[in-house]
Amino acid sequence: MADSVVMGSGSFNSGSRSGSSKTSTSPTENYQLARRRTLQVVVSSLLTECGFESAEKVAVETLTEMMQSYITEVGRCAKATCEHTARSTPTLSDVVVTLVEMGFNVDTLPVYAKRSQRMVITAPPVTNAPVVPKALMAGQKRTHPSYIPGHFPEFPDPHTYIKTPTFREPVSDYQVVREKAASQRRDVERALTRFMAKTGETQSLFKDDISAFPLISAKPSAIPYLSALLPSELELQSLEETDSSEQDDQTDTENNPSHIIQDDQSADKENVVLPPGGVVPTGKANEENMIDNPYLRPVKKPKVRRKK
Amino acid sequence: MLSYKQNPDPSGLHSRRCMNRKKDKGFEICINNINFQRKSVIGYVELTIFPTVMNLNRIKLNSKQCRIYRVRVNDLEAPFIYNDPTLEVCHHESKQRNLNYFSSAYTAAVSAVDPDAGNGELSIKVPSELWKQGDEMKVMKVYIEFSLDQPKGGLHFVVPDVDGSMAERAAHVFSFGNQNSTRFWFPCVDSYSELCTWKLEFTVDASMVAVSCGDLVETVYTHDMRKKTFHYMLPIPTAAPNISLAVGPFEILVDPYMHEVTHFCLPQLLPLLKQTMSYLHEIFEFYEEILTCRYPYSCFKTVFVDEAYVQVSSYASMSIFSTNLLHSGMIIDQTPVTRRCLAQALAQQFFGCFISRMSWSDEWVLKGISGYIYGLYLKKTFGVNEYRHWIKEELDKIVEYELKMGGVLLHPTFSGGKEKDNPTPHLHFSIRHPHTLSWEYYKMFQCKAHLVMRLIENRISMEFMLQVFNKLLSLASTASSQKYQSHMWSQMLVSTSGFLKSISNVSGKDIGPLIKQWVDQSGVVKFFGSFAFNRKRNVLELEIRQDYTSSGTQKYVGPIKVTVQELDGSFNHTLQIEENSLKHDIPCHSKSRRNKKKKIPLMNGEEVDMDLSAMDADSPLLWIRIDPDMSILRKVEFEQADFMWQYQLRFERDVVAQEEAISALEIFPTPASRLALTDILEQDQCFYKVRIQACFCLAKIANSMMSTWTGPPAMKSLFTRMFCCKSCPNIVKTNNFINFQSYFLQKTMPVAMALLRDVQNLCPKEVLNFILDLIKYNDNRKNKFSDNYYRAELIDALTNSLTPAISINNEVRTVDNLNTDVRLILEEITRFLNMEKLLPSYRNTITVSCLRAIRMLQKNGHIPSDPSLFKSYAQYGHFVDVRIAALEAVIDYTRVDRSSSELQWLLDLVQNDPVHYIRHEILSMLAKNPPFTKAADSLLCNEALVDQLWKLMNSGTCHDWRLRCDAVNLYYTLFGLTRPSCLPLPELGLVLNLKEKKAVLNPTIKSEQGPGGPEYRPSSQPNFENRLTFPTQEEEDIDMDTVHDSQAFIYHHLNMLERPSTPDITLFQLFALIFTGKEPSSVEQAMLSMPGTPMPTLSKESTSSKHGDHHHHHHHHEHKKKKKKHKHKHKHKHKHESKDKDRDSHAFSNSPASGRSIRSPSLSD
Repeated sequence: MADSVVMGSGSFNSGSRSGSSKTSTSPTENYQLARRRTLQVVVSSLLTECGFESAEKVAVETLTEMMQSYITEVGRCAKATCEHTARSTPTLSDVVVTLVEMGFNVDTLPVYAKRSQRMVITAPPVTNAPVVPKALMAGQKRTHPSYIPGHFPEFPDPHTYIKTPTFREPVSDYQVVREKAASQRRDVERALTRFMAKTGETQSLFKDDISAFPLISAKPSAIPYLSALLPSELELQSLEETDSSEQDDQTDTENNPSHIIQDDQSADKENVVLPPGGVVPTGKANEENMIDNPYLRPVKKPKVRRKK
Repeated sequence: MLSYKQNPDPSGLHSRRCMNRKKDKGFEICINNINFQRKSVIGYVELTIFPTVMNLNRIKLNSKQCRIYRVRVNDLEAPFIYNDPTLEVCHHESKQRNLNYFSSAYTAAVSAVDPDAGNGELSIKVPSELWKQGDEMKVMKVYIEFSLDQPKGGLHFVVPDVDGSMAERAAHVFSFGNQNSTRFWFPCVDSYSELCTWKLEFTVDASMVAVSCGDLVETVYTHDMRKKTFHYMLPIPTAAPNISLAVGPFEILVDPYMHEVTHFCLPQLLPLLKQTMSYLHEIFEFYEEILTCRYPYSCFKTVFVDEAYVQVSSYASMSIFSTNLLHSGMIIDQTPVTRRCLAQALAQQFFGCFISRMSWSDEWVLKGISGYIYGLYLKKTFGVNEYRHWIKEELDKIVEYELKMGGVLLHPTFSGGKEKDNPTPHLHFSIRHPHTLSWEYYKMFQCKAHLVMRLIENRISMEFMLQVFNKLLSLASTASSQKYQSHMWSQMLVSTSGFLKSISNVSGKDIGPLIKQWVDQSGVVKFFGSFAFNRKRNVLELEIRQDYTSSGTQKYVGPIKVTVQELDGSFNHTLQIEENSLKHDIPCHSKSRRNKKKKIPLMNGEEVDMDLSAMDADSPLLWIRIDPDMSILRKVEFEQADFMWQYQLRFERDVVAQEEAISALEIFPTPASRLALTDILEQDQCFYKVRIQACFCLAKIANSMMSTWTGPPAMKSLFTRMFCCKSCPNIVKTNNFINFQSYFLQKTMPVAMALLRDVQNLCPKEVLNFILDLIKYNDNRKNKFSDNYYRAELIDALTNSLTPAISINNEVRTVDNLNTDVRLILEEITRFLNMEKLLPSYRNTITVSCLRAIRMLQKNGHIPSDPSLFKSYAQYGHFVDVRIAALEAVIDYTRVDRSSSELQWLLDLVQNDPVHYIRHEILSMLAKNPPFTKAADSLLCNEALVDQLWKLMNSGTCHDWRLRCDAVNLYYTLFGLTRPSCLPLPELGLVLNLKEKKAVLNPTIKSEQGPGGPEYRPSSQPNFENRLTFPTQEEEDIDMDTVHDSQAFIYHHLNMLERPSTPDITLFQLFALIFTGKEPSSVEQAMLSMPGTPMPTLSKESTSSKHGDHHHHHHHHEHKKKKKKHKHKHKHKHKHESKDKDRDSHAFSNSPASGRSIRSPSLSD
């Protein structure tokens, strides 16, 4: 099988593995690839054992994937079982429990292991175990105080729980700040409008070069006065920042229209008597109720005709 | 009916007599159904009439575009005739195309239906059974059922094209019109002088609110609970034109200060409404206080609608505003504008709605008083400076208009009702009716009216003035509570004579000369002043000359005030302007003595130090002002030395004087002027509008002083000092507009600076970069107010900085050869315009400025000239300000590039655009910036265009008085009063194929004196151009064909409905349905199912009846539905021959029964 050949010639830096599109040089990746290749060999030999003479690459890949998942799951569950009993290293019994839980008949295992036609598979090539990258050290770690035993984990970096002493000196020069804010805003606006112009329809001022100075095309709206009169969200937002007392006003006004419509509908359906338009200015409802305005009066029900 | 036909009396006369004696007491309108989908309305009116004359056998009412189904008088079917001569003004296929002819024909047509003269489009024959009763002067009730389908005038439907119910779509409808236009939406006596009480009922969808005049008595659900009926009562006698209606899913706001005042706006705008209306109570309080009179109605309603006809329109106890007046608290610039609009509306509630006018010639009193008290409000709210500035502005406006267009006459008198006595021969339209006036003229009329009121105030004092108003109001309110019989209601109508009488009663002063000068005469006064100082006599020799010969001027004789500021103080002198005295000697009080260092007393008592080094050593005169209080409607051109203007600018405390000084200084580009202007600019005690004006003047002076100018560009260092950071002067402070004066200055200075030019006549690089930096560093995050107007003006500044591109051999403008500065500008504009799509600014001010900038770039040849961008922004569905800006650009393009396709596109829009305001604006902008004028030759000027415009004003604009006058105005601008020069000569035109020969004929036509054929009698007269009146012939012309034409017109409209036709349903059924009002939708179905049903019998009432020597033709047609078309054609061909026949065979077999069959062919089948 091609795979085993590949496997046999596998070297850490070989870039031609199974059509992999990128050459990997990181030790972690090499390590994992080596394991994976072993697993493929295992699957292939099992298939041979079962009497297959050849297999499609895709099928082998799939089976390998299944195998890997299974083994991973066994490992994960075993770890969980062990941690459940407050230990840190899984034992045989943990693995047995796991297998049982996963519906595997453990008793068949010794027999299967001792079967005659089994193939011996070489151990995966020795690769460097992946190096856990060292956490960035920042500041001086604290040593354990005397009452904490030495085998306990070390304290984390002080910045994670005390404070972060490392920062760049903020630019306090007014001119630079303004300059930066201005160019930042301009860049954002330009990028945004260019994006909008590229993704939507545009109009151009030049016939020879349509892409120069693209203008987002003008689209008529059904109710043009709304967008033209109502303050934009940005303006509302900045208003909130400057004057939070007016915030309440705005939020309740945003909600108002929908309330009104609902009110109206319910009034229609249930024949509830509500003022036309159903608007009772919020906030001072009690006071408003005192107002005698004909438009706030309830709608009367029709008189029954004498004829009927 | 027979008697009607046989009536030997000229029917017009007869009826007029009757009408003048007729009094209507009560009016009831009921609109059963308003269909937003179809834009139709169904309803009826009931009019209660007290005949005050024997033999009232005919009642004339006004009605336009309504379909009238039946008329009943006291429950008896009454036949009626419908004829509207204004539908098509001129009927002859006249190749003449002569505006004089049109104007007089139009005036005659409007007169023919003028309710004040007892005329009307709808003539109802009182059933003979009632004649007896009429003799006994009993009450008559006239009941009319009518419907409106897709009205083109009077009512405007706004139905946004989105999903959802009509309420969710914010669909609404409202009434509108120029002057008396109520006839467009229900039959009535459409006169301001016919008062009656009103009962109004509107049944609308349950999700809608109907707002109308008077008190809302109750709101009742219909039986199916899907609709509501709003019942309104208006017990105060009110004229029909003051009745209005608005229906929509309005949000309701009860005024928190005045619970009887209710505000309505479209969905989602409630927060804006709250903000906008938060100061209305102040206006109420102000008017009630100065007039010492309570608001006359028991309630007041304001409705804000989209696509409004005008910004403000006032009706009895309600006003309709444009929704675009609403603003949030963040907007600075709109706030005073909206306040002014509200104040105007409220002033008109007192004078205009509550107090109406006796006749059209008394209109000036109402407009004058409402404008005057509005001015008082301005003075109180915005301050004396603002008030005086406004008065000056208005005065300048009227003066400019009258000098350009000829006089504006406030109180025209028409002796004997004859056309010939035209009081304003200089105008191309008649001022006999409000409907024939050009809109611009009417605006100037209002402006002049309030200025004249102010002149009266100057004469009799404000106290008396207010007493007069109070007297008018209290008489009216006493009258309004009276019952009809007491004949007191005429107290509610103001007339010129009544007003003048109460002035003389209250003040005891004779203001006759003043009235004669400004009210009965048109024109303004034009003064030229100059002076010399006679050192020997210590006398100021003042010479005041007048120009009273050019158009729009008149001679002034009377007192004039002159204020002389001397070293010793300010002195007022009243000179008498007399016939032949030009020179006036004014003794001076002070010897020239500059050595004594003493403070100089000013007019207001203030004493100031002045640097007197600039002045003439021999003269004690600092400055001289002529008519400082603006108590004459005048223009003064006064000559005094530049240093005097500079002193006046610096030290005179009156803003008008300061503004005069600034405009005078424009021609004195000296360092001293520069210094004076800069000083005023920096002085924050100075009125901000003066400072703004100083900016522009400074820019002009700087350009004139280009070669000697030292230091940085004008205003740059000033701006830096005022608005930029101390530490880094190139960066503007983050926006804080809390101080409005400096906000306005900050907005304006860049715009003025951009007008600066260097030696190459380019905007200095330094200035352009400065403006670009302002845009770059603009930061509004910490600002309480929106900066949209500021940013828009920065774009305007960029626009102002543009200069014509240097073009080499007309090369095509491409991106590559773009000037680097222009590239920067274009980048900013692109970014602004694109950002606006994502975060639109208030009223899209930024888009508006960007469009103007792009047009300017095109015009200056920096980018290719192309109208397509503007055309897309001019589409329906953009905000109205944007559309106007875009249209302005298209119009400009049309003129510059002489594009006939764009002109055509514009004219199509005039005919088809849904928004009336846009149509009006297109025509008036075209008239202001015409593609060509009568003076110049143009390829655009051709016969097809003449035809098109002629049609437009002749029949295409019959639904909107204002638009028709706009069309007339444009026609006048393009072709002048006489036959357009591009038309072929009449006599040749009769023989030759016009199209082929046109090119050949064109050059000769200009001579304008070709002898006309017999049809063209007027033009054959050599003095034709000066002829403003016409032989009687055209009066006949108008009369002849109206029947046919108005029928055809209506028929055409009916055909356009394109409804499925089910001819089985008869009109009879239809009536039954309406009557019961049971199933409105089926009523409508029935109504719409008869597209071919002829309108109520139409007939032509002879308009010429007042001229006894005329022929009278009545021809009344009876139409059978199926034959209708055929018949029309037939009649068209033979109309002249068959006239008399028609009259005999068809004329008025109208018994009540036949009246029905006329309108209901299937019944008669």
